Amino acid sequence: MNLQLTLAWRYLTGRVLRTTLTTFAVIFGVMVIFGMNIVLPTMMEGFKANMMAAGGVVDVTVTHVTTSAFPAEVAHKLDGIPSIRAYSASLERTVNLPPDFVDDDPARPDRISAVNLVGVEPEAARSLQVYLIDEPGRFLQAGDTNAAVISQSLADAWGVRLGETISLPSVDGLTELTIVGILPPRTRPGNEEVLVTLAQAQAMTGQPGQINTIRIALTSVDESARAEAVAAIESALGSDYQIGSLDPGSEMFASLKLGQAAFNMFGVLALFMGGFIIFNTFRTVVAERRRDIGMLRALGATRRTITGAILTEGLVQGVLGSLIGLALGYLLGALVVRLAAEPMKSFLNINMGRPVISPALVITSLLLGVGVTLLSTLLPARNASCVTPMDALRPSVAEVEYKRRAGASFIAGVVMIGIALIGLVSGNMGLIALGGLLFLGGLILVAPLLLRPIAWAFGHLLAWFYARQGIADLAQGNLTRQPGRVTVTASATLIGLAIIVALGGMTTSLTGMMGDLLHKTLGSDYLFIPPSIAVWNSDMGASPQFAARLREVEGVEAVTSLRFAAGAVNGQAVSVLALDPQTYPQVAGLDFTEGNEAEAYAALASGRNMIVNGAFLATLGVKVGETVEMTTPNGPRPYTIVAEAMDLLNAKVVTVYISHANLAADFGRTDDVFIMLNLKPGVALEDVDAQIKAIAADYPQFTVMAGKKYIDDMMQYMNAVWAVMFFLLIFLSIPSLIAMMNTLAINVIERTREIGMVRAVGATRKQVHRMVVAEALLLAAVGTAFGILAGLYLGYVIVSGIGVMFPVAYQFPLAGVLAGLAVGLLFGALAAVIPARQAAQLQVVEALRYE
Amino acid sequence: MSLIQTENLTKIYGKGEAAVTALDHVNIAVNEGEFVAVMGPSGCGKSTLLHLIGGLDRPTEGNVRIEGVALAEMDDDTLTKLRRRKIGFVFQFFNLIPVLTAVENAALPVMLDGVKPAEAKKRAAEWLTRFGLGDRLAARPDQLSGGQQQRVAIARALVSEPALILADEPTGNLDTRSGDEIASLLRDVTKKYGRTVVMVTHDPRIAAYADRIIFLKDGKVVDETYLERKNKDNAQVLTNVMERLSD
Ligand SMILES: Nc1ncnc2c1ncn2[C@@H]1O[C@H](COP(=O)(O)OP(=O)(O)O)[C@@H](O)[C@H]1O
Ligand SMILES: [Mg+2]
Repeated sequence: MNLQLTLAWRYLTGRVLRTTLTTFAVIFGVMVIFGMNIVLPTMMEGFKANMMAAGGVVDVTVTHVTTSAFPAEVAHKLDGIPSIRAYSASLERTVNLPPDFVDDDPARPDRISAVNLVGVEPEAARSLQVYLIDEPGRFLQAGDTNAAVISQSLADAWGVRLGETISLPSVDGLTELTIVGILPPRTRPGNEEVLVTLAQAQAMTGQPGQINTIRIALTSVDESARAEAVAAIESALGSDYQIGSLDPGSEMFASLKLGQAAFNMFGVLALFMGGFIIFNTFRTVVAERRRDIGMLRALGATRRTITGAILTEGLVQGVLGSLIGLALGYLLGALVVRLAAEPMKSFLNINMGRPVISPALVITSLLLGVGVTLLSTLLPARNASCVTPMDALRPSVAEVEYKRRAGASFIAGVVMIGIALIGLVSGNMGLIALGGLLFLGGLILVAPLLLRPIAWAFGHLLAWFYARQGIADLAQGNLTRQPGRVTVTASATLIGLAIIVALGGMTTSLTGMMGDLLHKTLGSDYLFIPPSIAVWNSDMGASPQFAARLREVEGVEAVTSLRFAAGAVNGQAVSVLALDPQTYPQVAGLDFTEGNEAEAYAALASGRNMIVNGAFLATLGVKVGETVEMTTPNGPRPYTIVAEAMDLLNAKVVTVYISHANLAADFGRTDDVFIMLNLKPGVALEDVDAQIKAIAADYPQFTVMAGKKYIDDMMQYMNAVWAVMFFLLIFLSIPSLIAMMNTLAINVIERTREIGMVRAVGATRKQVHRMVVAEALLLAAVGTAFGILAGLYLGYVIVSGIGVMFPVAYQFPLAGVLAGLAVGLLFGALAAVIPARQAAQLQVVEALRYE
Repeated sequence: MSLIQTENLTKIYGKGEAAVTALDHVNIAVNEGEFVAVMGPSGCGKSTLLHLIGGLDRPTEGNVRIEGVALAEMDDDTLTKLRRRKIGFVFQFFNLIPVLTAVENAALPVMLDGVKPAEAKKRAAEWLTRFGLGDRLAARPDQLSGGQQQRVAIARALVSEPALILADEPTGNLDTRSGDEIASLLRDVTKKYGRTVVMVTHDPRIAAYADRIIFLKDGKVVDETYLERKNKDNAQVLTNVMERLSD
C-alpha cells in the first residue's frame, strides 16, 4: 500500500472515537442533503401523478392562461383553419375523493384517491381518438345523461361491471353514473378517467356552457407544418390562450421548491459545520503529530509528501463519511416519505410513491461531502507541511498567544454588526438576510476581545463552586491565553446553538401566529373541508344549494363560503378566492395587515375591488390602492387593491379575495369549495349535529368537522412538526461537541509538561481532572453566551423575513434559549470526559520528560 | 577532500538582549569512514552543530559542505533529498512513528524516496535482521524495549545506504548495558559497513568507542583528541578532559 495511504489509515484507525465523531459531522451533512432531496422530488412525483392531465394522441392542446374554464363558443374560432384535421372541446377536472370512497374499506390503503372527470362531445372525441370498447358496451352518445365510460382497471377497483352504477361527488351532491362502456385497463401514470358527456360534466361541476381544454389533431406532423398551425391557432384565439400541456398547480410546485431550498440550506449549513469540525480536528491532529511530522521531514519527506499524507487522511474520511451519509440519507428519505404519506394524503390528497433518486443527486451529494472535507483539510495540511525537522527535536514550549491582533478585526466586527442592525431596520428582505450573515461574521471577529471578560465572569462563578482549590483560576488562565483557538471552538458551539435558538424563536413566533390565525380565520363552529385544502383547483365544490340547505337548519345563525377560480396578473398565476362580504365577517374573518376591515369588505361588495395577501404584494411588487389588470376567462378586468389580509389556508400562495358576485361575473364560478357555519348563541353542537351531518352526507367531497376539533388537530400536527424540527436541530449541534473536545484535547497535549509539574507539586488526579472539566465548562459557557446572542438576533431576522410574507409578531423563544443553554453546558461537560481522563492519568515522570 | 567541512559555522538564537550564541565560528572537518564523537557540557551547542551538519536547521553565519557541496545554496526540496539519500539520523528519543511497525519505520526513508513498498521493506528487514531484530519485524514501537527501538532507528538511518550517520545522544535514554550495545553497533557501522558516524554524547564511556573526540564549550571547539584504540584508560582520560572543561 502507498505510504500516505498507510499512514492515513493507521492514524484514522488509531483514534477510532475521534474519527467516528468527526466523520459523523460529514455523514450528517450528506445525509440531510441527500435525504431531503429524495423526499421533495418524491412529493412532486406524487403531486404530478395526481395532476397529470390526460395526454393521448393529440398534437396540440389549448387551455386558458389562467387554466380556468372558458366559454364553449371559443372553440368555434378554430373552424376553417386548414391545418387542423379535427378538434375536441372538453371540460376536465381532477376530482379528489374522500377517504375509502372507492374501496369502502378503511383497512386497505386507497389506490384511487382522485379521478379525472372528463366531459367530451362524443362525436368530436372519436374523431380525434379511437376508443376500444368491447361489445356489448359502447362509447358515449350525444344526449346521454348520467352515463360514463371508464377503464377496466377503474371498474375493478370500484368492483362494478357494465350496466352498473358508480357515484361521484358533484356540485349538486352525489351523482350516479351508469357505466355504458369499458375501456382497456389504464397503463399510463396519472389518475383514472371517468368519461362523460360535456353537458354532464358542465352540470356536475356547475359550469354550464364552459370548457377548459381543446385538443387538436393536425393534418401533418412535420415541424414546419406544426409551427404554421400553432401560429394560426394563436392568432385565431388571441393571447389569453396557451398552447401546450396543462400545468395546474404550478404554485404548489413553487412552494414545494421553496421547501426544498430551505432544507438544502439546512443541509449546507450542516456540511459547513462538518467542514468546520474537520478543520478543527485536523488542526488538533497536526498539533498532536508535530513530532512525527518533524521526524518524517528529517528522514527526507518533502513538504508535498506531508501535505499529501494529511490530505489523504481527509480524503479517506470524506469518502467514508459521504458513503455512509448516502446510505443513512436514503433511510432518512424513505422514513420521511413514509411519515409524510399520511399528512400528504389527508391535507393535499397526494399519494406518495417510492423514494425518487436521481444519479445527479447521488453525485452531487458525494462531491459535496468529499469536497467539503478536503477543503477543510487543506489549511491544516499546509500547516503540517510547514513543520520543520527541528520541531521533532526541540521541546516545543506551549506557545502563549497573548497577541492583541484584535484591533483591526474587532473594529471590522463592530462595523459588520452595525451594518447588520441597519439592514434589520431597513425592512428590505435581501438586506435583512445579508445582515444575518454579517452579524454572525461580526460576532466571530469581536469574540476574541470579549472572551476575557466573559471567561472572567464565568470563572468567578466556577471559583465559587470549586472554592479553595485554585483550580478555577488555572482553568480561566489556560483558556484566555489562547484566545484565537478558543474563539474558533466557541464559534462552532456558537453556530450550533445560534441555529437552535433562532429556529426556536421562529417556531415560537409562528406557532403563536398560527394559533391566532386559526382562531380568527377558521374559528367557526363547523367547517366543511374539501380533500385538498391547498390545491383548490382539484376540489369538487358544491352548488349554493348546499349552503342554503344548511342555513335552513334550526339553530344555525350564519353560513358562509369560499369559492375558487384560477386567475393571473401580469402573467403570474394567482388564486382567486371569493367570499360573501356580508356573511363572511360574521362567521370568520381575514387577518388584516393594511387597510380597514369593515371598509374593505364593503368595498368588495361595491365594485371590482379585491383584498390581497402579502405574497401577492411581494411577488407582484404592487401596493394597496393600485389597480391591476386581472386576466379572466372573459378577458382582462381591472381590480383595485383595497387592503392586505390573509387567511390561514392561503397564507403561502399568491392569493386575492373578491366577492362571490364578481367571481360569478368574471370567472363564471358559483360553486363553494369551503364552507363555514356558526350556530346561534346557546345552541349546542349536539342539538344540530345529526341534521347537519345528514345534509352533508349528500356531499361526500366535504369532511365535516367541528371548528374546535379542527383547530386542535392542526395545532397538534404543528407541534409534532416542530418537535421533529427541534430534534433535528439538536442533532445538528452535535458537531460542536466534537469541536470542543478537540480544543480541550490540544490544550491537554500542549500542557502535558505543565500538568506534570502541577502533579509533581502535589495536585491530585482529581484536581487535574476538575481543572480540565472547569476549562470545558468555561469554554462551553463562552460559546453558549455568544450562541444565544446570535440566535436571538437570527431568529428576529427570520421572523421579520417571514413578516414580509405574512404578519408574525416576534415572540421571545424562552424554550429555545433554555434548550440552547442546556445543550451548550451539557456538551461542555461531555466534551471534557476524555481529555480530562487523559490529563488525570498522565504519569508524572513521563509528563515531565515529554518534549 | 573531507566528507564534512564546516566554515565559521555560527548559530545565534533570538535577538538583542535575549540572543544566545549556540555555535561560534566552528571549523571542523570529518573524513570518510571516521567515527567522531562530539563532547561537551550540556548547552554547549552539540545538538545545534549536529542539526546544522544534517541540514535540519540553517546557520546564522558560515557554511556546511557535504562532499564539497554547500548546504546554504540548496532549497528546501534539494536539502530534503540530500537528507534522504546521504544522511541518516539517530536521536535520543528514537522518534519512531508510533502507528507504523518496526519494518515499516525502518523502511521509511527509502519509501519516501519512491522505492516500491515491498522492496523497501525487504531492505529494511535485512538491516533489522543484521541487528538481531529479525523476529520483531511486525512489532509496533511501543512493543519494543528502548534498546530495540534504538536499533530500529539505526536500521532506519542505514536503509538508504547513506554515507553519513548523525547520532545525537543515541544512548542518553538507555541503561548502561543497552548503551554499550548501541555504541558498539555504531562502531560496527563505520568499521564493518564503511559509513561515517558523527555522534554527540556527554558520556565518556560511550565516547570512548570513537576514533576521534571533538570537545565543545560555549559554542567553540576547545580541544580534539585521537584515540588509538578503545580501552578503559581512554574513558578515564576523557572524563578528566570533561571535568577540566566544566570548571
Ligand atoms: N530553539 C532555540 N531557541 C533558543 N535557544 C536555543 C534553541 N535551541 C538551543 N538553544 C540554546 O542554544 C544553546 C545550545 O543548545 P544545544 O545545541 O541544544 O546544546 P547541547 O545539545 O550541547 O546540550 C543552549 O544554550 C540552548 O539553550
Ligand atoms: Mg543536546
